[in-house]
Amino acid sequence: MATTTTIMPGGRPALTPKDFNSGLKPIWCPGCGDFGVLQGLYRALTAIGREPHEIAFISGIGCSSRIPGYTTVYGFNSVHGRALPIAQGVKLANPDLLVIVAGGDGDGFSIGGGHVAHAVRRNADITYIVMDNQVYGLTKGQLSPTSPKGLRTITSPLGSLEDPVNPLLYVLAYGAGFVAQSTPADMPGMTSILEEAIRYPGFAFVNIQSPCVTFGQEDQQLRAHKTRMKTLASLGHDPSSMSQALERARDYGTELYTGVFYRNPEPPLSHDRLIRLRQEELAKQARPRSQILDAYLQRGGAQ
Amino acid sequence: MNATVDDLVLGLAGSGGDGVVSAGESLLGALSAEGYHALMTKSFGPQIRGGESSCRVRVSTRRVLNPGGELDVAFALNWEDFFRFGAELPLSVDTVLIHEEQAGPPPDTLRQRGTVPTQIVSVPLVAITKQAAGTDKAKTSVVLGLISGWFGIPAESLQRGLRKKFASKGAEVLAANDRALAAGIAYAEAHPLERPRTLERTAAAPGSKMLCDGNDMCAAGALFSGVQFFGGYPITPSTEIMQTLSKEIWKYGGAVLQAEDEIAGIGAALGASFAGRKAMTATSGPGMALKTEILGLASIAELPLVVVNVQRGGPSTGIPTKPEQADLFQAAFSAHGDVLRPILAPTCVADTFGITVEAFNVAERYQTPVIVLSDQEIAQRKETFDPIDTSRLVVEERLCPVGSELEPYLRFRRTATGISPLSHPGLAGGAYQGAGIEHNEKGEPSSSGVVHAQMNAKRFDKLAPLLERRDLFEITGDLDAPLALVSWGSSAGVAREVLALARGRGLSVKLLVPYLVYPVAERVYAEFFASVRAGLVLELSHQGQLFRILRMYTDVPRGVRSLAQSGANPFRPAEVLERLLAVANGSGS
Repeated sequence: MATTTTIMPGGRPALTPKDFNSGLKPIWCPGCGDFGVLQGLYRALTAIGREPHEIAFISGIGCSSRIPGYTTVYGFNSVHGRALPIAQGVKLANPDLLVIVAGGDGDGFSIGGGHVAHAVRRNADITYIVMDNQVYGLTKGQLSPTSPKGLRTITSPLGSLEDPVNPLLYVLAYGAGFVAQSTPADMPGMTSILEEAIRYPGFAFVNIQSPCVTFGQEDQQLRAHKTRMKTLASLGHDPSSMSQALERARDYGTELYTGVFYRNPEPPLSHDRLIRLRQEELAKQARPRSQILDAYLQRGGAQ
Repeated sequence: MNATVDDLVLGLAGSGGDGVVSAGESLLGALSAEGYHALMTKSFGPQIRGGESSCRVRVSTRRVLNPGGELDVAFALNWEDFFRFGAELPLSVDTVLIHEEQAGPPPDTLRQRGTVPTQIVSVPLVAITKQAAGTDKAKTSVVLGLISGWFGIPAESLQRGLRKKFASKGAEVLAANDRALAAGIAYAEAHPLERPRTLERTAAAPGSKMLCDGNDMCAAGALFSGVQFFGGYPITPSTEIMQTLSKEIWKYGGAVLQAEDEIAGIGAALGASFAGRKAMTATSGPGMALKTEILGLASIAELPLVVVNVQRGGPSTGIPTKPEQADLFQAAFSAHGDVLRPILAPTCVADTFGITVEAFNVAERYQTPVIVLSDQEIAQRKETFDPIDTSRLVVEERLCPVGSELEPYLRFRRTATGISPLSHPGLAGGAYQGAGIEHNEKGEPSSSGVVHAQMNAKRFDKLAPLLERRDLFEITGDLDAPLALVSWGSSAGVAREVLALARGRGLSVKLLVPYLVYPVAERVYAEFFASVRAGLVLELSHQGQLFRILRMYTDVPRGVRSLAQSGANPFRPAEVLERLLAVANGSGS
């Protein structure tokens, strides 16, 4: 097949999904939902058009958190649960970067659960992708914060006694401006949701139901998703309505809705934008390095 | 007979509303304006407002090295609060003990504590204030007037300071405080002390002096170094670092993030460093405990990061408002895996500036977290010092990959120095995967034992040049002395004075103060200890943590003993001198 090179308005060749693929072989099990997420992300980033080196991709720990390594962007596979704070440091240090965060349900809603509310309330301009498989896969099949009540795993051999976290409801209640859900069972839909989330100028959350083929439940596999999933659009959902979003998010765990639950029609300025305005306003007060200590000088004698 | 002294230690204690700290600050301002050297420490009860408060002001015609030992002058606005400070306000028979008349004569507690001053002066403070100012609110100004009259503190500077302080309060308040100050001075003149003691006039021309605390100098050092990001969580006694940067950093294009917790604070700072900016966090012991996991990440990802621990009494909440040097083990050893993190320790307010700059330089040059171990005393005491010549300071930047180093880019390339050029997001051709997982030179995950051993060696070897840095050690006294002192952090200020006192007694003695506390520069200590038969390692911790670390890495001569005591029990130079004399005579325990 002949290849053609599309030239972008800036004069450089258009990116293709291959430009984002590091070629490193994923550690994931064959059939893992995360392969689909990775492919969807390659496509979404291609559509966005930012050069790989202008992107920082931060993750925590878990199967899904290996994802930055399979891309050509700047990646940081950090520690369990702390990807959001690290990503905010990256974004504030260099707001020109496109910053994406990925992790699993344990990373985001168990060990790192305390950070989500704060990333949301600051309206950090980052895209947070949670690959939610309702189980701990990397450590071989323990309960996760989104595991359904009653689930039998190796750490809950008699069945879980705990209700799961509802990630969608949490993040909506925290006040996020963009909340969506998808599944790799719907590649075109997931890809466009990822693209929309990345383009959203503020904190964007995408919960991707990404099946674990090894430890996940039967009804959480891609085949089951294909029959269970319902697009929010087909329900006549209005993504500008917070009350509709909250109402439908309550069905997490029973229904598999895909699409945008909520999108703030008037996004406020993001944290880094506000900070940049403050920096610009105060820049003229900067002292040369040699005068920084002058603030602590006590003038002697009659002052 | 009027004795003139060149060094005066004053201590004031009262309840929260008595304004003793405010009096101390006015005194400090006036003394520094006159060209004296002065230092002030504050101490409070645990209450958020009110409760007991005290301050110590030490003034001298020479450089003040520490808050001093027994008080020359003690001012008790009431006895209960005064005695709550115990060893922080120690008395001697020579102390001039002044108390508010209404408080009554000294209670039995004074005798029970051991030392009863021979000169106890009762002053009708409230009465004087009411008569002069028409209100008891100007009590602080009367206290200042008394101190000025009795001990020869220049009244003009005090008055200038008070006028500046009350400038916004209106003419009435200004006049009332003027009258109160004058009334204090007049009372002192009308009631001379039995054995007067007057501060010698300073020969130094009134000139510009620095007056600030250690947390100020830490923040200023960070700004000087070009810090672009601070992430942290409020914790006593480090919070003022964040407070200062929250005002200043924006001007320099940086940002402060008051994070949701200690972990997020260091996490965001590490993210900023990953993004190519100079970044720091500051905390105290309990916060350090929470930051430990991400410190490990910084080590393995080889990212520069400055982490300040302003030590307080511990463990746990401990005594948050008082100093201790008991987080050295934590700083050196609270790591998972084989990790070497340089630890730098300032010893006074002034050198906190340079040590902070050095910490950024070491962090950026060696791509490593650096821990700055300050402590509550240095961090929160106010001190005068001569302006710092910053033109001699070098500010280093991290090694960035260029040209062929990007074709292809190997983030963790094993170089001769162990230092690999460090790229950052935004740099074309430099993309890599940072990770907490062990990795090969390219940054790809690896669980190979061979790779792990090589990378561990790289991460240690790159720091070896630090051990050759003689400028990170202060060695003073007689270089071939058989008697030695070793001290670090705020205790070093006491050791310096003890060194001078001991040499004044004709002893051949020397002092080693490490600014680089860890890794232990074995050769520096071996050379220093070569002539030594006896000595003391002075530090404020129950275990004597530096002493034990030195014994771990070096051959400490048998006659060198640990002189360590728990935090919140300040060392008295005279007492340390006695212990030094005892070990010199072979009778030290």
